[in-house]
Amino acid sequence: MILLDTRELDHPIPLEMVVDAFKKLSGDEVIHMIHRREPIPLFEIITKNGGRYLSTMERDDLWHIYITRSSTVELEHPHV
Amino acid sequence: MYNGLSLEQAPPISVVMRFFLTVPIFGILLSIIVFLNPHEVLIPSHPLSLAVIHLMFLGVITMAMIGALFQMQSVLGGRPIPSVSGNAFIIHLFLGIGIVSLAGAFAFSVEPLFIVAAVFLGASILYVANLILPLLFGGATHDTLRGMRLALISLAITAIFGIVMATSYANGSFSASHDALRTSHYSLGLIGWIGTLIIAIAFQVVEMFYVTTPYSLWCKRNVFRLFAVSLFFKILWLFFVLPFVWIFDLVIGALLIGFIVTTAKRLSQRKRRVSDVSIWFWMVGIILLAVSIATYGVFEWNGYAPLPSIALNAFALFALAIILGMMGKIVPFLVWFHLNSAGYMDTPIMSNIIPQSRSKALFALFGITLLFTLSGIFYPLPLQLGALSGGAMFTLLLLNLIKALKLYRHTLVYGTRFEQL
Repeated sequence: MILLDTRELDHPIPLEMVVDAFKKLSGDEVIHMIHRREPIPLFEIITKNGGRYLSTMERDDLWHIYITRSSTVELEHPHV
Repeated sequence: MYNGLSLEQAPPISVVMRFFLTVPIFGILLSIIVFLNPHEVLIPSHPLSLAVIHLMFLGVITMAMIGALFQMQSVLGGRPIPSVSGNAFIIHLFLGIGIVSLAGAFAFSVEPLFIVAAVFLGASILYVANLILPLLFGGATHDTLRGMRLALISLAITAIFGIVMATSYANGSFSASHDALRTSHYSLGLIGWIGTLIIAIAFQVVEMFYVTTPYSLWCKRNVFRLFAVSLFFKILWLFFVLPFVWIFDLVIGALLIGFIVTTAKRLSQRKRRVSDVSIWFWMVGIILLAVSIATYGVFEWNGYAPLPSIALNAFALFALAIILGMMGKIVPFLVWFHLNSAGYMDTPIMSNIIPQSRSKALFALFGITLLFTLSGIFYPLPLQLGALSGGAMFTLLLLNLIKALKLYRHTLVYGTRFEQL
C-alpha cells in the first residue's frame, strides 16, 4: 500500500503526486490517498488509463481514495 | 463508495480554450480604442465609452466566464452538457459576432448594427442559459451550483433588458422607463451575473486551491438568496419609481463587504504560505472590489461626478484580476488533465505550462494597468499609458495561452503513452 496524505498540500500538488504515483504502479500495488476533497477529475484519468478506484468519504473534509491497476485486487476501506 | 457521477464529464480542451483565446483579442481591441480616443472614453455616455464598456464586460469578462462555466458545469454539476463541442462552437461564434456588432454600433453610430447585436447577443446568451440552467436543477446541489443558477438567470435577464435597449438605440427613441431599464441592466449584469459567479467560484476554489478554513455554511447557503431578493426588489422599485431604492444597494454593498472580509481573512491566514501569483490576483481583486463599493457609496452620498466611473473601472478590474488569476490556474490544469487522461507519460507538470516568470510579468502589467487606468479617470495621459500597458498585458495573456496550447499539441504528437511502454 502506497500512502499519500495530501490534506495539507495546495492545489495542484495532490493531483500531480497521485497521478505520478499511478503511472509507476505495478502488479497488485494500491495507492491510498487521503485528501480533504473528493478529487473528481482524478477519476477520469484513472479509469481512462486502465485503473480502478474506490472513493470513500469519512467526513466532509476527509476522503480516502484507493487506486490500483490490478483487475483482481479488491478495493475496500476498513471501517474503524 | 462511488459517487455516481459520470466519469467522462470534462469537455474537450477546445471547448474552454476557444472562449479563453478570444478574451485577449477583445482586450487588445479595447486597449487600442482607449489609446486612440482617451478624451471621448472619459465621457460616461459617449458612444465610444459605451463601446469600450461593452467590449470589457462582454468581450473580456463574459467571454471568459462563459468558457469557465462550460468547464465548471461539466465537472461540478455532475451532468455533462449535451453536444458540448457543437454547442460551444455556436455560442462562441454568436457571442463574438454580437460583441463586435455592438461595439461597432456604438463606435460608428450605425443604428442597424444594434439590431444585429441584439439578435446575436440575445441568441447566444439565452442559448447558454437554456442549455446550462436545466442541468443545474434537479441533480446534485451545492452552494457553487446555487450561485451559478442565480448568475445565469441574471445574465439572461440582463440580455433581455439589453435587447430592449438596443432596439431603442436602433430606433433612436427611448421610453419613459429607459433609466429604470438601464440601471436594472447594469445592476443585474455587474452584481447578479459577474459578482455572483465570482463569489460562487470563490466558495469552490479558495478553500480547495489554497487550503484555507472553509467559508461559513450559513453564508454559503444564504448569500445567493439575499442577492436574489435584493436585486429583485431593486428592479421592482426602479420600474415603479418607488422611494428609498438605495436600501437595496446598501444590502448588496454589505453582502459584498462580507465577502471581501471573509475572503481576505481566509487568504491571509492560510495554513501553507506558498507563493502563488493567483493569490496575489485574488487579493488585489478584492481590494479593487472594496474600492468600487466605497466610491459608489460616497457618490450616493455626495454625488461627485467622477466617482461612478472610478466605481465601474474598479469593478471591471476586480473581475479581470480574478479572471487572470483563475486562467493562470485553469489553463495549465486543462493541458495537464487532458494529456494525462489520454495516457501521456511525459505530460509536463502544471507549473511548467505557464512558467512563474510569465505569470509574475502578467501580474506586474496588470498592476501598472490598474494604477494608470484609475488615475486616468481624471486625465487623458495616464489613461493612454493604461491602454498601452493593458495592451501589453492582453498580448502576454494571448502568448501564455498560445504557448500552453503549443505544448499540449507537441505532447500529443511526440509524447509517449502508457500502452507504448
